[in-house]
Amino acid sequence: MANLSTKIKMYCDANGVSEVDFLNDVMLQDDSDGNGAYIKEWNLSISQPTDAQLSAQETAANKEEANAQVRSTRRTAYGDIGEQLDEIYKDIDAWKARIKSIKDANPKS
Amino acid sequence: MAIDKIQSESINLADNFAFTGTVTGAGGANTPAFEAYTTGLQSITENSYVKMTFATEVFDTNNAYDNSSNYRFTPQVAGKYFVYAKGISDPSAYENGRTSILKIYKNGSAIEHTKYDTMTGGNTDSDGFTASTPSARGIVDMNGSSDYLEAYFLLNTWNNSGANVGSKQFGAYRIIT
Repeated sequence: MANLSTKIKMYCDANGVSEVDFLNDVMLQDDSDGNGAYIKEWNLSISQPTDAQLSAQETAANKEEANAQVRSTRRTAYGDIGEQLDEIYKDIDAWKARIKSIKDANPKS
Repeated sequence: MAIDKIQSESINLADNFAFTGTVTGAGGANTPAFEAYTTGLQSITENSYVKMTFATEVFDTNNAYDNSSNYRFTPQVAGKYFVYAKGISDPSAYENGRTSILKIYKNGSAIEHTKYDTMTGGNTDSDGFTASTPSARGIVDMNGSSDYLEAYFLLNTWNNSGANVGSKQFGAYRIIT
C-alpha cells in the first residue's frame, strides 16, 4: 500500500499542483494509535481529497514509489558527480556505456 | 526541637552555617517530573508527523506520564515546566535522509519554539544525511489538570521509502518560579 503522502502528490499533480510542501501546504499526522496517517491540515487552493479520491491514486502512487526506489539505486550506482566528470573527460563512450548498463539493470516500471 | 521563629537581629548574615541535619520547608520540589525512553526503532510514515512512543520510564514521580497507550505527560500540578525530547533518525539507506523535524505538542498543537529541523540543501540523495539527531526543549505553562505534552517526529527521505527513529528520550519537570 502506497504512502499517504505519495497518493496526495499524485492527486495534486492530477489537479494541476506539481509541488506539495508537506511542512506547509499539507500536514499529515499519525498518532501511533494504529489508525495510520491522516490529513491534519490542508492549505492548498484545490479541494482536500476524499478517501475515494485518494484510493483512486493507489496504482499511480505504488508506481511512483517503485520508481523512486529505482532512481535512488541508480544514483548510488552512478557515483559521485565529480568522478563522473573525470570519466567523461577521459572516455565519454565508456562512461555512457556504464550509465546505460546501470539503467538497464534497474528499469523503471 | 523544631525552630518556628528566628529573630533576624540574632543572625549575622555574613556568618557561615554548616548544617549537619535536615532542613525542611525551604525551597521547593521540581515535581511532577518524568523521563522516559525507548532504545528500539519506531517506524515513521513518510512525510507525516508521527507521535513518538516512549515505553520505558526512568522515573515518573507523580505517575503523570502514560507510557503504554497515549504517551502523554499530564501533570496534575499547575506551573511552568521544562520539557525536552530527542530522537535519532534512521533513514532506510545511506545518505537517504532529507528532512527531519521533532516537535513538542501541547494539547495537540505544536509549540513552535520547541521545533527542531534538519534539512539537506542538495538535489540528490547523495547529498542527504545518514542520521540526524533532532532535539527540542522549552518552558511551557501547564494548567495542572487537562494540559498534556507529546512529542512528534517527521522524516522525509529522498526515495520516499520511510524510515525509523530510535534512541528516543522525552522528559519534563516543574520549575520553581
